[in-house]
Amino acid sequence: MTASFFARNPSVLWFILILSIFTVIVTVLSEVTGVDLISTSFVKTLGKTLCLCLVAIAMDVVWGYCGILSLGHFAFFGIGGYAIGMWLMYARTEGIVLTSLAGQPIPPTPAEISDAIGNQIFGVVGSSEFPLIWAFADSLTLQLLMVVLVPGLLALVFGWLAFRSRVTGVYLSILTQAMTLALALYLFQNDSGLRGNNGLSGLQNIPGYEDVPQATVSIIFFIASAVALGAGYAFFAWIVSGKMGSVVKGIRDNEARVRFLGYHVESYKLFIFTTTAVVAGIAGALYYPQAGIINPGEIAPIASIYLAVWVAIGGRGRLYGAVIGAAFVSLLSSWFTGGGAPNIDLGLYVIQWTDWWLVLLGLSFVAVTLFFPKGIGGLFDYLVRKPQ
Amino acid sequence: MIRLLSLALALFLTVPVAATAQSLQDILQTHQDKVLKPGRRTVGVVLDDLIASGLPQALPFLESWRDREIVQRDSDGLFFRVAEDGDTVTLEDLDTGETLTANADGFTESRPNGGVRRAIGDALVQFQLSDPDIAKRQAAVAAIARSMDASQLAPLAASIEGEPDAALKQTKTRLAGMLGALFADTTNARVAAIEALSGDLSVDVRAVLNTILASSETVAATIPGGTNVAQMLVVGADLTETEAYDRLIIADLADPLITKTQIRDALIANIDGDTVAGIPVGTLNTDAARALAYDLLAADGIVPPRVDETTRAEAIAAHSFYVAYAEPDTAITDAARTALTAIKTKVGFSQAADLGLDALSLASIYFLAAIGLAITFGVMGVINMAHGEFIMMGAYTGFVVQQFVPDYTLSIIIALPLAFVITFGAGVLMERTVIRHLYHRPLETLLATFGISIALQQLAKNIFGTQARPLTSPEWLDGALIFNDVVAISYIRVAIFVLALVFLCIILFILKRTRLGLEVRAVTQNPGMAASMGINPDRINMLTFGLGSGIAGIAGVAIGLYAQVTSEMGASYIVQSFMTVVVGGVGNVWGTLAGASLIGFLQKGIEWLNPSNTLAAQTYMILFIILFIQFRPKGIVALKGRAAAD
Repeated sequence: MTASFFARNPSVLWFILILSIFTVIVTVLSEVTGVDLISTSFVKTLGKTLCLCLVAIAMDVVWGYCGILSLGHFAFFGIGGYAIGMWLMYARTEGIVLTSLAGQPIPPTPAEISDAIGNQIFGVVGSSEFPLIWAFADSLTLQLLMVVLVPGLLALVFGWLAFRSRVTGVYLSILTQAMTLALALYLFQNDSGLRGNNGLSGLQNIPGYEDVPQATVSIIFFIASAVALGAGYAFFAWIVSGKMGSVVKGIRDNEARVRFLGYHVESYKLFIFTTTAVVAGIAGALYYPQAGIINPGEIAPIASIYLAVWVAIGGRGRLYGAVIGAAFVSLLSSWFTGGGAPNIDLGLYVIQWTDWWLVLLGLSFVAVTLFFPKGIGGLFDYLVRKPQ
Repeated sequence: MIRLLSLALALFLTVPVAATAQSLQDILQTHQDKVLKPGRRTVGVVLDDLIASGLPQALPFLESWRDREIVQRDSDGLFFRVAEDGDTVTLEDLDTGETLTANADGFTESRPNGGVRRAIGDALVQFQLSDPDIAKRQAAVAAIARSMDASQLAPLAASIEGEPDAALKQTKTRLAGMLGALFADTTNARVAAIEALSGDLSVDVRAVLNTILASSETVAATIPGGTNVAQMLVVGADLTETEAYDRLIIADLADPLITKTQIRDALIANIDGDTVAGIPVGTLNTDAARALAYDLLAADGIVPPRVDETTRAEAIAAHSFYVAYAEPDTAITDAARTALTAIKTKVGFSQAADLGLDALSLASIYFLAAIGLAITFGVMGVINMAHGEFIMMGAYTGFVVQQFVPDYTLSIIIALPLAFVITFGAGVLMERTVIRHLYHRPLETLLATFGISIALQQLAKNIFGTQARPLTSPEWLDGALIFNDVVAISYIRVAIFVLALVFLCIILFILKRTRLGLEVRAVTQNPGMAASMGINPDRINMLTFGLGSGIAGIAGVAIGLYAQVTSEMGASYIVQSFMTVVVGGVGNVWGTLAGASLIGFLQKGIEWLNPSNTLAAQTYMILFIILFIQFRPKGIVALKGRAAAD
């Protein structure tokens, strides 16, 4: 299967090749090897961008290939981040607490340790009890399982409810947006058990490896993100290229006809929706240890819409388009909002890009939708012109 | 008048009646020391005598005394009202009012302290209750209401009869009723007063009844005789064993438990090398091990023994836990309880009515926010994510107009049509440039309009800044429509409700009764057929979209009046607005009304169940909507037949 798969999809090999070269170059130029041409913070930015590319691929599969404009995939991304963040925060706090209790004249009881950890983590929302959802937080294995299971189950239940009652098109988009809003509002509450508005923080410190310098940690996460992106790309390329991919694209183009041909449309949609949600969760679990902090604001509906914007600008319906879009727009966005872009002096008025970047993004987005529906990825069609 | 009152006072207050035909000075001379150096305890006698004397000049004297204007002449001990004027003083005779000037030396000032002045103030209240000036009488009544006291009942009751002002008389009667319920002499009088209160919903009456019913939870081996028991507490049902034992400890009826912290501290204090009581320190990392070590220490008599389960259970069983009223008289507490229950029932009904009004006003806000969307999304099928930004544009229009037109009424009258014109224009522009090209690609319409939405939001932020801008409502919209002490609704909310109704009528009229409406419906159902009938679909689509956007602008002004105007205000309504339209049923204005009502009432209902948490209410609300769409995917009012064809 593999030989024919790669033969039929040369773009996968190209992609993995380019990604590998890029990873090697960044690693060589980073602080770890002593070259120090790329700062640790920029390595983190690049690593985060790779995670965003991964979630963008998932978005592209569910929207560009299956025609479901989900405005909730960034919520799955956030759930993945929260799941890993719970373990990171618990384990790190446990380490701190054990160190501070070690000086006591008699050894602490398990209850005392648990109370002290609870106080450390939830003191900020005026509580010290461990909520039920933290039951597995002490185990990395279980919490890694949560990264996959929680977004997967949520997507499964939500998708089953929605697809079963034939909610399609813009209705489904609004419904997914509502789901995202509900989740964000829930997390904003102090008694949600996830520290409300404060979110989880200090995630960049990996428990047990406190003495490893951040430069090394960031490179490891960067490489892990690159591997995840490569694997995700190959996985989705395989899914959308086979017979299943044809059915999925058929659903996008004419759902009723595929149903009349005897395919169980709902199962295909549910499979794509759930799988992409799981991948989004994994991307989030890789992203937030590099970002260091996660709070409910990250999950707000607007984030999921930006995800759609990236995919649309990159060019949907082609996996490398999603990658290009996510990388291009998110890096450009941090360049503009970070004050990297030079201000334009119009004489009467100085255009400061920190203020005007969103206006530019919004308008260029309208322009892309209207005039370049194929996005940046569409440019590749000119390179690889097929014989007429 | 004052004489009458004072007579009544003299009868009520068990004070020795001073001989009549005295002068004020005589009374003061009797209590020379107490007037000159008044103390909180001694001043009562002087005040009682003054009130009992019934002298009209007592009132001005009390005011002067309170204001520290009374001096004593050292030579003969007489008291005067004084006005200082440099080296000389002007003295005024307290009885006759004659004035004389004298050298400032040779006088001792009477300086009542804070407590005394308060006592004088109380006495003054009794005079003021019958003062000819209504403002003073009102102030006196308010003073009594602030701090109710048994001594005020009699003078207040006495002043009711002669009260000329009907409203004040009612207030006095009501206050006297409350005082009577608290302080009347006989049980029957108090019960009667309490029963008279039972129709009153106001907070202060409820406070009075709650004061009478004030109770405390106590514990005793045997309940002392004469205790007015409100409720017996059953251990296990009303309170847990731990709570019960804690109460025994607080009441000093049982030995305190040894807490885990105490055990830990005791163990630390008794560490001997590497062991405590022969147990290695390293193994003391469980509660059981620590308890064992502690018991060993206790056996040696080093620490007090732990209270074990049996002792604890016996101690709890040996005592009665109960709630006792502070008021010993059962008849009074029974009457108060009955009255309070009756009031609470009425308050409950009123609160339900109030909640209904709140829900209605929330529903009209949702309706206003969604009605424009019901036209663009519901009728035309165009999903406009920038709808919220049209609401914001309307609100900012109102704000800008108020910067130029200072008169709030006029500015609102100008802002409403102006907001319509501006957002109508913006809507038409957007339809012509963007939406027209995307009519058959709904998902892309969603994304393109979202692009416009973020651009507009940031634009507003750049122009108006990030802080919230106020949109001040005209004065006649301040205040609230008050039905009783519980049910009230602010006029702004009434105005929004009226506005929502007006919009409903206008839109129904346009869609059902005008040429434009006919053409809109025709184009919606079948653009090709409509075009062949001579209708220009392009023009109709443009006008319909403009209409929907214009209405969003007017809604923006209305919403801005009661909420803050920020660049993000539109975004906070957009999801709810879509929900409203989808739940109500797409393509139908009545559906939008039904959707807004459902969402408004439901959200208030959920908030009522969990009032501390609006966020939770919104979360559950959205979850409910997601489930609702499962069962009625076409909304409450589903279109049937040809109109429903997608």
